Amino acid sequence: MADPTRVDPIHQFGITNVFSFGGEGGFALTNSALFMVVSVVVILGYLLLSTAGRRVVPTRAQVVSEMLYEFVANMVQGAAGKEGMKFFPFLFALFMFVLAANMFGMFPYFFAVTSHIIVTFALAMLVISIVIIYGFLRNGPKFLKLFVPAGVPGYVLPIVVPIEIVSFLSRPVSLSVRLFANILAGHITVKVFAGFIVSLGALGWLGFLGASLPLFMTIAITALELMIAALQAYVFAVLSAMYINDAIHPSH
Amino acid sequence: MPNPPDTNRPEPARKVTSDLAARIASAKKDHQVEAKEAAARASGGSTNLGRAMRLGSEFIAAVLVGTGIGYVLDAWLGTRPWIMLVMLLIGFGAGILNVTRAVAEMNAASPPPKDADLGPDDEDET
Repeated sequence: MADPTRVDPIHQFGITNVFSFGGEGGFALTNSALFMVVSVVVILGYLLLSTAGRRVVPTRAQVVSEMLYEFVANMVQGAAGKEGMKFFPFLFALFMFVLAANMFGMFPYFFAVTSHIIVTFALAMLVISIVIIYGFLRNGPKFLKLFVPAGVPGYVLPIVVPIEIVSFLSRPVSLSVRLFANILAGHITVKVFAGFIVSLGALGWLGFLGASLPLFMTIAITALELMIAALQAYVFAVLSAMYINDAIHPSH
Repeated sequence: MPNPPDTNRPEPARKVTSDLAARIASAKKDHQVEAKEAAARASGGSTNLGRAMRLGSEFIAAVLVGTGIGYVLDAWLGTRPWIMLVMLLIGFGAGILNVTRAVAEMNAASPPPKDADLGPDDEDET
């Protein structure tokens, strides 16, 4: 941005190359990919280092890892039952990745990976592919019972079955749109309010007083964003667990 | 877990351990209740904003997906715009279905307190 008083809340979502070689069509590490790698490395590094001691009386770092494990394990068991624990590694990885990516997005000048719908949509498609593939592997053609609710008279089935199919297909869309929209809207809101501080502050002493209002607002919204970042990671994981539950028990 | 039998220990020590076991049991119980409440609060979004986002996205996604499928089928079969119109309505139905399911989940996650006054129902009319 050339003019510091000009506010450009979308600028933060731009994809840039951190480094590249091979020219056009060659390999390039974008800022999005960089923060995905950073998220994964930080998660892996933290979990490995904190649990390396395997103490019976855990250190603080180990307690955090154990709490994360138990939190996700309880969530998976609540949503998908004992059998759903087969998917615990996947759901734990999903939850930790989304959580770490959201939290890294909260740092100034960092890139919010989950603010791009293609990233969240890829995660959601991964979940729904697992549901479809595992559903057919486990239940065979009986998996299609998911689209035929029990106890529905035959003459309404021509309406109910397409509705159920569209409802199923809308899951990855709603799953990805929710996460992406929350992060995108939150980051834009923070930027817009922070921009008000600069523009009002340029108006002299009265503007200086006025600028304190958006300053408080920015602080409050940042706190809200931190909560939303954690909450949306949880919602993403818990809904994935519920959809996997459908693959295990296809009849409603 | 009931107190383990510890017969070969002196009486005061046994009392101490049984007391400790009871305290551990009650602390665990408290923790479970708390965890359950936290889970109920979190599912479906603990905030009203989270709930609104959940319901809104569930509904809109179904309408968009339905219409999109209709659009693609139309382009493929050359019957524009009829399948899209039908699929728009079906998507609308699917959206309502999604929202009903989501709300049912939210209700199940946080049932009203037993003695809550939920207003008059059919049985109250005389």
